[in-house]
Amino acid sequence: MPVHLFKDARYFQIIFQSVFLGYGIFYLHWTAEWWLYGTYFGISITTQFLCEMIFNTSKIKIFSGSWWNKLRIGIPSALISSFGLSLLLKTNHWTIAVLAAVISIASKYIIRFNGKHIFNPSALGIVVVLFFTGQAWISPGQWGSGIVILFAVLSLGFIVVTRVQKLDVSIAFLGTFSLLLFARQIIYLGWPMDFFVQSISTGSLLLFSFFMITDPKTTPNHSVARILWSMAVAVVAFYLTTFKFMNGAPIWVLIFAQPLVPILDKLFKARRFQWKTSKQLNPEETRFLQSVYTHSVM
Amino acid sequence: MKRKLAVIGTCIAISPILFSFCGFYVSKADGTLKNKTSQVILVRDGNKTVITMYNDYKGDVKDFAMVVPVPVVLRKDDIHVVDQSIFQRLNDYSAPRLVEYWDQNPCTMNNLEEVVVTAMGQKRASKDLGYATSKADLGVKIEAKYLVGEYDILILSAKESGGLKEWLTSNGYKIPEGAEEVLDPYIKSNLKFFVVKVNEAEKKKLPGNFLRPLQIGFNSPKFMLPIRLGMANSDGDQDLIVYAFTRKGRVECTNYRNVNIPTGKSIPLFVQKNFSAFYSNLFDRQWNNEDKSVGFLEYAWDVSPQNFYHCDPCIATAPSEQDLVQSGVWWLKGKDWTDYSDVDNDEPDNGSKNVHFTRLHFRYNRKSFAQDLMFQVTPNTETFQARYVITHPAPGNFTCDAGKKYLQELKRRRKNELMELTALTGKNIDTWQDDATAANDEEDVAEAQYINLLPEVKEEMEKENNSPIGILLMSAVVLGSAGFLRWRGYV
Repeated sequence: MPVHLFKDARYFQIIFQSVFLGYGIFYLHWTAEWWLYGTYFGISITTQFLCEMIFNTSKIKIFSGSWWNKLRIGIPSALISSFGLSLLLKTNHWTIAVLAAVISIASKYIIRFNGKHIFNPSALGIVVVLFFTGQAWISPGQWGSGIVILFAVLSLGFIVVTRVQKLDVSIAFLGTFSLLLFARQIIYLGWPMDFFVQSISTGSLLLFSFFMITDPKTTPNHSVARILWSMAVAVVAFYLTTFKFMNGAPIWVLIFAQPLVPILDKLFKARRFQWKTSKQLNPEETRFLQSVYTHSVM
Repeated sequence: MKRKLAVIGTCIAISPILFSFCGFYVSKADGTLKNKTSQVILVRDGNKTVITMYNDYKGDVKDFAMVVPVPVVLRKDDIHVVDQSIFQRLNDYSAPRLVEYWDQNPCTMNNLEEVVVTAMGQKRASKDLGYATSKADLGVKIEAKYLVGEYDILILSAKESGGLKEWLTSNGYKIPEGAEEVLDPYIKSNLKFFVVKVNEAEKKKLPGNFLRPLQIGFNSPKFMLPIRLGMANSDGDQDLIVYAFTRKGRVECTNYRNVNIPTGKSIPLFVQKNFSAFYSNLFDRQWNNEDKSVGFLEYAWDVSPQNFYHCDPCIATAPSEQDLVQSGVWWLKGKDWTDYSDVDNDEPDNGSKNVHFTRLHFRYNRKSFAQDLMFQVTPNTETFQARYVITHPAPGNFTCDAGKKYLQELKRRRKNELMELTALTGKNIDTWQDDATAANDEEDVAEAQYINLLPEVKEEMEKENNSPIGILLMSAVVLGSAGFLRWRGYV
């Protein structure tokens, strides 16, 4: 049924992200930087359109009257990237916002391997801007820890409804990360339980686990490779968070882990489209799954 | 409408102030010590942190003892005592402020109003100090022992909390209930314990009978305040004011939400009489509304000595360069080439003399704050101040046409002010009855008096629909766009 309602999982993504942003602004009283959100959205959509014109001319001729189609096709993923930036990246300067949006979108077209882009668009935009300009920041505490139930419900709803079968990435990452934190905070250091609960129930971590690392385009195709890869990201992120006191470590680790994906895909290529064999799909479902798998998340 | 502006400087109610630091405060006597409001100055750049702890201990000097967990063994040069008045100046300067405007009578526009600037100070009583002796034992190692100012300082490392607890007990310290649970994780995190007592002989040499604030500096990637130890010997909620200074921009808490305290609101004139009480009500209300596990931003500004514009309006003299240096802003000092303390500092000294001042206000308790406060320095240079506006009505009568219009405007504005006051403080509208009555004497026009507007406002507020408009609007937009997309066949 949901397949009939939304053929493309990206629309769910957009709705969930807009709910998160609304929750932050109206309920958690974030300082609403409307100019910043406006910049992210405007520049992302423009960049998407320009890139589509420049890098994709073979498919549709520019003056054939279908430029509107061209623009339309790219809008959902540009929106998703813009929401990703709006939810995470803060800056005082519009130039930085423009830079982040351009990097996010353009990276999808420029940094590619084997028909897949390598980096998660908004994660790359965020990391590059954080590292090279020093004029932007992320606020890991912005969600507080009370959001856990909302996130759990929405995230699970998202996954169940869209039947995205990459829940394994979220579970492998979050499970490994939580286990390591538990071992460190409760078993080794001896903090009370609520200390640990606060660590793992922060919105930033959950958002990352369910909406950023899960990007089907930038995770290995093979399920074993995917799970091992997610666990590796968790281990490194845990190390940097706990011993190097790094803020937003998962995003940084993700960016450095994504170039490994093409290598892992090469090593584990035999069973690339394994998910298709699990069940006979009708053409509509196939089209739906393809749309999920061929468009980036966040 | 032309208005004149004046500023009333005022201090927020930080009372009763019983103890200062959020660290761990042990008593040799049986009397239970309670911390209520702490003040801390944090200076951070790169990996270097300087922490200054306000000391307003009120008991017998013999009983004074304080334990602060620190990430490294401090050297003697890393520990200083500083002038107590620094805290007063920083507080006065960054505290929430009340701004006064004067309307001009539209019928007699040539009136000149006087601009009055007043400031209310808050007195802090000086305190007596205590002394205690100590010995090493039980897996507890004395890493260093210093005499700094009037303080005897030990830096301890311990193998396990039982040993540390026993050591402290056998040396006459009374460990508060629950402290052991907190000590263990600190020991295993390889933290050292900075144990402070008062050296009575040194204390006698000094004028005055108060304890000066202690300032410690160290290099560590950890940028945090160990509030968990402070919770061991206190019950209920504790307030903590953090004055943070950085080169780059605002300081933010990374493991709790940061919320800006409501600002720029117009409130009734009579609030002026008791601004401290107003702010303390407002803070209570906001703290409860935001689910308690938050840090409130009360002030953020570039206070670099070369920048002359530090607030709008300013309620006290800006901290001078000396004040900032005293607070621990080391990059304003001339470079001392014999000082190698910044060798381990990752961030190269770029010679910048910028200073950003952030004032954060926490109210914590064991239940809402399971973790110590972790911070980060952000490049956010946006300014912020907690600022509330009162407006005096124009004097005289309003018989001319413009005057009648003004009167209507005044009534409307005052109704809004009353509603704002109720919304900000969460107090029932009837609470203001007495204040509104008391304010009447100064009013020229009966019609616009607060007391006469109260019943109307009450009626309006009861009628008002209190549904969460934001959420409803958002849901409508989401559903609407989904419907639209479906209708157009895009999805």
